[in-house]
Amino acid sequence: MDGFFSVFDMLAWFPENISTFGQELDNLFAIIYWVSVAIFFLTFGVLGYFLVKYRYSPDRRGYNYHGNSVVEITWTVLPTLLFAAIGLYSDDIWERTKYSSKVPTADVEILVLGKQYGWVFLYPGADGTFGRNAHNDRTARSLMSATNPFGRDTADPAGFDDVMTENQFVVPVNANVVMRGSSIDVLHSFFLPHARVKQDVIPGLWMTIWYNLFKTGKYELACAELCGGGHYGMRAEYEVMSRTDYDKWLDARNAEVNAARTPQPAPTATTDTAAVASLR
Amino acid sequence: MSTSTLQHGSAAEHGHDHEHEHHHDLPWYRKYVFSTDHKVISKQFMLSSLFFLFVGGAFALFIRWQLAYPGQAVPIIGDILPASWATNGVISPEFYAQLLTMHGSIMIFFVIIPFAVGMFGNFCIPLMIGTDDMALPKLNMWSFWLVPPAGLIMMAGFFTETGYAAAGWTSYPPLSAQTGLAKFTISGQTLWTISVFLVGFSSIMGAVNYVATVLNKRAKGMKLFDMPLTVWALFITAIIITLGTPVLAAGLSMLFMDNFLHTSFFLPDNLVTNSKYFGGGQPILFQHVFWFYSHPAVYIMILPLMGIVSDVMATFARKPIYGYKAMVFAIAGIAFLGFIVWGHHMFQSGMNPLLGTTFMLSTIVIAVPSSIKVFNWLGTLWRGNIQFSSAMLNALAFVSMFIIGGLSGVFMASAPVDIYIHDTYFIVAHIHYVLFGGSLFGIFAGIYYWYPKMFGKMLNETWGRRHFFWTFVTFNLTFFPMHILGIGGHMRRIYDPNVYDFLKGLGGINETVTIGAIALGFSQLILVGNILWSMKWGKKAPRNPWKANTLEWAAPEHPGHGNFDMDITVYRGPYEFGVEGRQDDYWPQWEKGASVTVHHHTIAVTDDAKTFGAH
Repeated sequence: MDGFFSVFDMLAWFPENISTFGQELDNLFAIIYWVSVAIFFLTFGVLGYFLVKYRYSPDRRGYNYHGNSVVEITWTVLPTLLFAAIGLYSDDIWERTKYSSKVPTADVEILVLGKQYGWVFLYPGADGTFGRNAHNDRTARSLMSATNPFGRDTADPAGFDDVMTENQFVVPVNANVVMRGSSIDVLHSFFLPHARVKQDVIPGLWMTIWYNLFKTGKYELACAELCGGGHYGMRAEYEVMSRTDYDKWLDARNAEVNAARTPQPAPTATTDTAAVASLR
Repeated sequence: MSTSTLQHGSAAEHGHDHEHEHHHDLPWYRKYVFSTDHKVISKQFMLSSLFFLFVGGAFALFIRWQLAYPGQAVPIIGDILPASWATNGVISPEFYAQLLTMHGSIMIFFVIIPFAVGMFGNFCIPLMIGTDDMALPKLNMWSFWLVPPAGLIMMAGFFTETGYAAAGWTSYPPLSAQTGLAKFTISGQTLWTISVFLVGFSSIMGAVNYVATVLNKRAKGMKLFDMPLTVWALFITAIIITLGTPVLAAGLSMLFMDNFLHTSFFLPDNLVTNSKYFGGGQPILFQHVFWFYSHPAVYIMILPLMGIVSDVMATFARKPIYGYKAMVFAIAGIAFLGFIVWGHHMFQSGMNPLLGTTFMLSTIVIAVPSSIKVFNWLGTLWRGNIQFSSAMLNALAFVSMFIIGGLSGVFMASAPVDIYIHDTYFIVAHIHYVLFGGSLFGIFAGIYYWYPKMFGKMLNETWGRRHFFWTFVTFNLTFFPMHILGIGGHMRRIYDPNVYDFLKGLGGINETVTIGAIALGFSQLILVGNILWSMKWGKKAPRNPWKANTLEWAAPEHPGHGNFDMDITVYRGPYEFGVEGRQDDYWPQWEKGASVTVHHHTIAVTDDAKTFGAH
């Protein structure tokens, strides 16, 4: 019976929240949920009461009454106030989570691209800056291809150490992560269920996605916008690491990049092959 | 104002007589196929919509099977499915995308809109305003005859190389526009575009007609505020259609050209694709154009049913509608607001978040007229004398399910909450509570209510109640748990939830939903059985079986071409039930008599000189 009633405790079904603003979003959901539950029982209670009380009886007749302005104005004004309050409170949170002016200073900046069917990520590497690519230089967009989705300019020295990963990424805990997201083919949607993050990514535009996660561990990234037959499999994993683990991870990637570069300078060919093999 | 007079249109003449016995009669194909009689056109819409209801429902059951039992062969018919649909009976991911596209498109464009607007618009408007037919009967005929070819065109996607359209009923480009096919190739997507364009055109032709009819052909004495809410709702819906649908047509034309002629309205530069034809376009543009129509379309799909439910509730509660004028203004308010809220479908689309604020606030405002309607319906039941007929049960289901659907709408209206639930099953639950729990129950209410006037026979009440019971129970079993799937993060339109660890705990709920859906699908056979059985063996319907007030019940039992067999003059509003000073508890609009209004009550008086408006 416990299991049966859990169906009605809808809030229990959320996946665990791990982002700073996620708690706020969940609380707002809970507020609307409880307001809805109250309205539900109120209206259904009245409805049920009327249906029983005023059920057909041959010796009664319906009451000829066309309505009362005072009553009607009351039940217009009350929901207006209620919904306006919900709207204004929601807007406050919306502004803080989505407005571009409210995006915090980035501790970590990552580029992300959706493609049919997977995700690729680009880190600035050891020097902390991206080389010329399709995000920071419009003209580099013509370099975009299936093997070089970010349109990286192989001639730019600042880009030699940029790290690309496929279907997995890593972020440090308690840090402001700012991602710039786009797509190389159709619409995708960058959805981190545990972090309460969702943003469609659109070919030709770069979207800013930011979050700050407070719990370490492995989580999932899903595509939430239909992008073709393989849409359901457009899954990636990410790991939230302590700052030291994250730095170690970056160092290891940097070493890989350097190792791959030494015999022949071809930075575009470097991907996180070990990680890809483990996922696919 | 025209008043219909008809000498020869008695009930017996229309139905079973052989046409050659009446040399003045039209040939059979003008009577039953290319008829200009609004009632025949209405029945044609009803039949085609019922047919597509089962087609769309079958697509839905495939979807449900795959979600509950991913990777398992479809039972019974698995072996006979074509190779492009399934391998060894297991639905392929590509076909899954086609299924969800076709389910949505068919249910919206070929079931709900034709039922709500085509069927009831045609049947109710001329009869309820007391006239002989639509203002433009030929246009009306063509508005129906675009629907079957449009349906065939959409279904013909099966025979193309790529199968049915597979970009969702919303068909967002670039997925829907970037074909990789040669110029002038007919694909499922091009057929989809043509088909939706045609049904849109059918809607526009119908809508122009409804507006013209309501404004020009009302019976003598019928002021706009003497019209039943069904007519008001259909009238306002028709205005929405004339304003919104052309915009969709523009979007579809561009999408068609991107597909068929390799233009690039929606395809930006530098795509990595096997097609060479792109550049300079803007994908979000389509979403704006699409939702500028498709949000008002949500109201196209629900407003007519709000009107119908109001009429059904007044009749079976034996009470005037509580706040008739407020109901009219609420419908008009919803219609107006419907045009300025489309961006709430696009909170996460990459639209400027500043617009998110605007659209969130306008969307939340729409909850106000909606709640006015709900309160007025409750007010209508208050101190009524409620008869639980099949029509009334379905109308009550509409109200209660609309409350749930409306409340779940508040969640996604709040943009920050929408971040998480957008594109999850929470949205799927919401749309089905509004479009099935709302619109379809409203449609059922209307069918049970007007069937006697449509076919001259009564529907079987016992089976009507059984149909209602099973539909109501299995509907909630199917769609309520979808809220939980959504809160669990279950994305919509995914082929196999088991790919994701965070969705692993939701398998049981997916199974429950599927079992509910199968039962829900089969419950609808009761309705079809009842409709067909009663046509032949149903009890003969009296002229006014529900003792209702509106003008359609002044028409003969089974009205022929021309509708009325007497002069119609309207003396009062449509909802005078329980009037003091009268023997009957109802007072039809067409019955002569005087009344006074005292403190929101109507009282019948004998003195003809002292006639006041009834409200």
